[in-house]
Amino acid sequence: MESIILFAPLVGALIAGFGWRLTGIRGAQWITTGLLFLACAFSWIVFFTHGPETQHIQILRWIESGTLSTDWSIRLDRLTSIMLVVVTSVSSLVHLYSFGYMAHDDNFREGEESYKPRFFAYLSFFTFAMLMLVTADNLVQMFFGWEGVGVASYLLIGFYYRKPSANAAAIKAFVVNRVGDFGFALGIFGLFFLTDSIKFDDVFAAAPALAETQLTFLWTDWNAANLLAFLLFVGAMGKSAQFILHTWLPDAMEGPTPVSALIHAATMVTAGVFLVCRMSPLMEYAPQATAFITFLGASTAFFAATVGLVQNDIKRVIAYSTCSQLGYMFVAAGVGVYSVAMFHLFTHAFFKAMLFLGAGSVIHGMHHEQDMRNYGGLRKKLPYTFWAMMIGTLAITGVGIPLTTFGFAGFLSKDAVIESAFAGTNGGFAFWALVVAALFTSFYSWRLMFLTFYGKPRGNKHTHEHAHESPNVMLIPLGVLALGAIFSGMLWYNSFFGKEDTVRAWFGMEAVAHQDKGHGDDHAKADDHGDDHAKADDHGDAHTNEEHHGEGDSHAAEHSDPAHAAVAAAHHGEAPAGAIFMHPDNHVLHDAHYVPKWVKISPFVAMVLGFVVAYWFYIVNPKLPARLAENQRPLYLFLLNKWYVDEIYDFLFVQPSKALGRFLWKRGDGDVIDGSINGVAMGIIPFFTRLAGRFQSGYIFSYAFAMVIGIAVLITWMSITGGAQ
Amino acid sequence: MEEMLREYLPILVFLAIAVGLGLVLILAAVVLAVRNPDPEKVSAYECGFNAFDDARMKFDVRFYLVSILFIIFDLEIAMLFPWAVAFKDISMVGFWSMMVFLAVLTAGFAYEWKKGALEWE
Amino acid sequence: MISADLNIILPEILLSVFAMVALLGAVYTEKDKLAPTLVWITAAVMAAMALWIGTSGSGTNEAFGGMFIDDGFARFAKVTILISAAAVLVMSQEYMQRRGILRFEYPMLIALAAVGMMMMVSAGDLMALYMGLELQSLSLYVVASLRRDSVKSTEAGLKYFVLGALSSGLLLYGASLTYGYAGTTLFSGIVQTATEGHLSLGMLFGLVFLASGLAFKVSAVPFHMWTPDVYEGAPTPITAFFATAPKMAAMALFARLMHDAFGQAVGDWSQVIALLSLLSMFLGAVAAIGQTNIKRLMAYSSIAHMGYALMGLAAGSALGVQALLIYMAIYVTMNVGTFAFILSMERDGAPVTDISGLHMLSKREPAKALAMLVLLFSLAGVPPLVGFFGKLYVLRAAYEAGLAWLAVAGVVASVIGAFYYLRIVFYMYFGEERDDAVEMRSSPVLYGLLMASAIIMVAGVVNLFGIEGAAAAAAATLVN
Repeated sequence: MESIILFAPLVGALIAGFGWRLTGIRGAQWITTGLLFLACAFSWIVFFTHGPETQHIQILRWIESGTLSTDWSIRLDRLTSIMLVVVTSVSSLVHLYSFGYMAHDDNFREGEESYKPRFFAYLSFFTFAMLMLVTADNLVQMFFGWEGVGVASYLLIGFYYRKPSANAAAIKAFVVNRVGDFGFALGIFGLFFLTDSIKFDDVFAAAPALAETQLTFLWTDWNAANLLAFLLFVGAMGKSAQFILHTWLPDAMEGPTPVSALIHAATMVTAGVFLVCRMSPLMEYAPQATAFITFLGASTAFFAATVGLVQNDIKRVIAYSTCSQLGYMFVAAGVGVYSVAMFHLFTHAFFKAMLFLGAGSVIHGMHHEQDMRNYGGLRKKLPYTFWAMMIGTLAITGVGIPLTTFGFAGFLSKDAVIESAFAGTNGGFAFWALVVAALFTSFYSWRLMFLTFYGKPRGNKHTHEHAHESPNVMLIPLGVLALGAIFSGMLWYNSFFGKEDTVRAWFGMEAVAHQDKGHGDDHAKADDHGDDHAKADDHGDAHTNEEHHGEGDSHAAEHSDPAHAAVAAAHHGEAPAGAIFMHPDNHVLHDAHYVPKWVKISPFVAMVLGFVVAYWFYIVNPKLPARLAENQRPLYLFLLNKWYVDEIYDFLFVQPSKALGRFLWKRGDGDVIDGSINGVAMGIIPFFTRLAGRFQSGYIFSYAFAMVIGIAVLITWMSITGGAQ
Repeated sequence: MEEMLREYLPILVFLAIAVGLGLVLILAAVVLAVRNPDPEKVSAYECGFNAFDDARMKFDVRFYLVSILFIIFDLEIAMLFPWAVAFKDISMVGFWSMMVFLAVLTAGFAYEWKKGALEWE
Repeated sequence: MISADLNIILPEILLSVFAMVALLGAVYTEKDKLAPTLVWITAAVMAAMALWIGTSGSGTNEAFGGMFIDDGFARFAKVTILISAAAVLVMSQEYMQRRGILRFEYPMLIALAAVGMMMMVSAGDLMALYMGLELQSLSLYVVASLRRDSVKSTEAGLKYFVLGALSSGLLLYGASLTYGYAGTTLFSGIVQTATEGHLSLGMLFGLVFLASGLAFKVSAVPFHMWTPDVYEGAPTPITAFFATAPKMAAMALFARLMHDAFGQAVGDWSQVIALLSLLSMFLGAVAAIGQTNIKRLMAYSSIAHMGYALMGLAAGSALGVQALLIYMAIYVTMNVGTFAFILSMERDGAPVTDISGLHMLSKREPAKALAMLVLLFSLAGVPPLVGFFGKLYVLRAAYEAGLAWLAVAGVVASVIGAFYYLRIVFYMYFGEERDDAVEMRSSPVLYGLLMASAIIMVAGVVNLFGIEGAAAAAAATLVN
């Protein structure tokens, strides 16, 4: 069944890509979509039936070269099954959505160019590569999927290949990702160098030893675990668009909107988070590296949120929002609560995909107008889309009842992240950055809503008159995702961010005995959480009965095995059990439940504040933003131009590279290489050719003369060299 | 050195005899011959050409053909002589080798005859 | 004793007896009317003989006290010589007949030349060497001027004869020097005179003169000057013959002489050969660029190719000889195909040799143009065609023998040389439409040989039809 999940999208991609002339355009679309829904159904079955244990499913023997011996196999554990569900669900819905969204496209000549099978083939190919990534059992296999999604992303961003901007964006995405991939590859090389294996189990088993190993790199000695964790994270930075390597993500919005939803919101960009969680056994032994991850994640969350405040392109706002939310996930992973990172990844996939698809629906309805300044008052024209977007906004801003576990998906997961950040950094930079980012998130999300759906229609009258609601085939995916955006948080809160023992059991880790450090009061609170969860459970049951199975398995997991013993075993070369690994001395998850109340309320306050400001700016007093931008012009421009990061890169890297390229091209290739070759080919050789022709006089005596000269030379030479002895 | 010179003595003797004989014959002609010269008689016979004329003149290629054919058989004689002299000392292999050689030459001769190479016109 | 000797040279005897009998038979009966039949019969006899030699012989047999050697090396060369001679005969029949120059002597001369070449490659003695060489050369002088009423043809014959006489003189002078210093004409005796791997100065002189005489036969620079003129002047089938079998024979003789007679002083002659090789490769590549006549062009091409073959010899190792044999076998095969193409070039029934006539041939004769393209690429040594592997072998042999500079020079020369091969391809595929375009005569024989040769160039990449192993075995018998 796992193999079917994995290969169904590939089969679909191959059929649609190469065989669409046989199946027809319609056929290709249905086949890819059908196979994706099959994979999706199987994924949910696996998600609910597969327990916390780790299972290896060998597909084929792959690399046998020296000590490098690797199978191509599926690593099926909790982490994989979560990702399977996320990837296949969003992908199948996006496939369905694309029926409507891609029905007509002005970028291609209608009836002459069949772009649809290509689009669906790319989508399915992407899904295959992404599944390849998440099911990988070793680093090279993961790298294969990693590069596969990179290629698919490149192809889909540049899907409108007639638009120069799309091509530029595709190249930018590819190049920036190369930077990250270079780090990732170095990390893999380093792991193989030190552990002589690239299998996860072997690498994890060796992690404690790596923590005590020194490695020379760039003329300096480093702690091996820290260095390798950092290098792997560089790969994650590229793929997940973290600060410094984030510049490609907003540009990637050049691709069709379903692509943005699938690749650049829900799945591919979270691959970096997945990588850090997957490598958690290594990360746990790399304190400096994880500190860096936390810091960078928080910075990204803050940075992207600030930029999102002033963007006018509806897709770019959501893109920066994605960037920001990814920062949240990295903070969670960085402070050592990988389950929370996965939780936010999980919920974010639903509401962010929905926001993108909703934005796509708006764009579709508005005839491919993307500037929010030209929207307004679309609530009536696009009622279903409006409600979907509303649910998405409520989810992303984190609306819920404070101090309970009752709220939209984003409320639960984001609060979990922020609480973890507080617990992990003792209320340091990461916590405050995230809280402020939450405020900004709320502001720009509501700004988007108000600008788009409220107020008076702005921009082209004609466009507004013809604005129309999208077809059902686009609305159904929105509805399904809306369910996820509402309930996914409440349903799985306990599994991801419940009591530590619950979480450990759910992810298959050994249980750890906790000494209480005087959290008496808060303990009770934590129990409340448990109760609320039960309520939430019932609540979820009522609405999503078909999705609710197997929860009991995880609850019934064993508590007895002391995790410390497992760590001791790890020192003897055994990989720790479980999909993720939290060191027994890592109490952040536990502590996160006992943070002060003001910490727990802070994100809610930030959200309300953001909403109020947005309401005041865009409903009550719509002139104000313009005036503010006028008054604070430098700040406004700074944000509008995305902190000038692109400009700095252009100055630091792009221009010097181009100058170097021009130099090598004009001077090196043109003058030196072409010059010398042309000189030889068009000057020297013809000269000798003429010379040879002159000697070939046709007179027999000159021929004989040449022979005599030749023999004279040979004799002389032999007399000098050969006769010397 | 002495030894080697002694080996070459017969050659020296031959040389002396050859020079001597030549001298004797020329001198004999000077002394004894009846001289009655006319222009045709004193001109050198050079295959029908004037002895003193421009060297770059056309002449019949058939002269060369005949001379080459002559040389072949001349060489054949040169081979046959030592063979005949040593005939009683050589084996049957030697005999048959010469027979094969003669047969090959004969084949060539038969060919050139039939081909008409021996006819002047 | 004698019968054993005769048994060893039986192929040569049979072929010469056949030639003489056929000559007499024809001259006493139908004369030139028999010529086409004789061509085919001679070709068949030679092919049969190649089969016989290729399959029957084994081991190393010496006849007449070592004057004649029949070993794996000789057999390899003989098979190549006989097959290529037969192929050329078959190719020339129709061409010559239509132009009225097909005489019954022609196949006989080719047969006798073949006997001479067989003698050459089996020579174990300076006298046997000279005998074979002259038998071959005399036959070639005659066929070069076969078209007696053509000024060019007779000029070609005369030039070849005069310069050939000069080279024979050089060779004989070298032979006499060698005999004088070694006291024997037997290779096996000469080889023992080298002391500590070096030759006395007199022997060196003899060696250089011998090498020069042979270099003339393989048309290595600077003894190559006759080649373009003779190739151009001689009737095209004769040129085809010149470019194939005699080259193989002379090259094999070269290798035989150097290894059998001077094998103890490899260091001494290796540099001479390397120099000849270097000059040949570069002159062949550079001078051919200026040619517009495809026969002259092929002359320079063969000079360059001889340079590569000599590189294998210069390596002075068993690997080098193996490379040389492989190279020559491939070279001969390519040239048979190429000349089959050239022979079918004509306009209004008259032969054409100007390459400008090949413009846009691919439009008119796609199959032939494609075959020619393959052959030209192979001649230029473009991978993955068989011609590339020939070069690869000699380069490897040279490199492993410490002649890396020569190998590098060979690569450079092959790049230069690729120009004129590719120019023909360019004309055929990307040229302009012109009114002096050639017509390709469709003759089944020429077509078959052209296609077979081209297919061999492609299909041979699998295992070179096993000649690698055969050449290795042959080389092992020569170098030990």
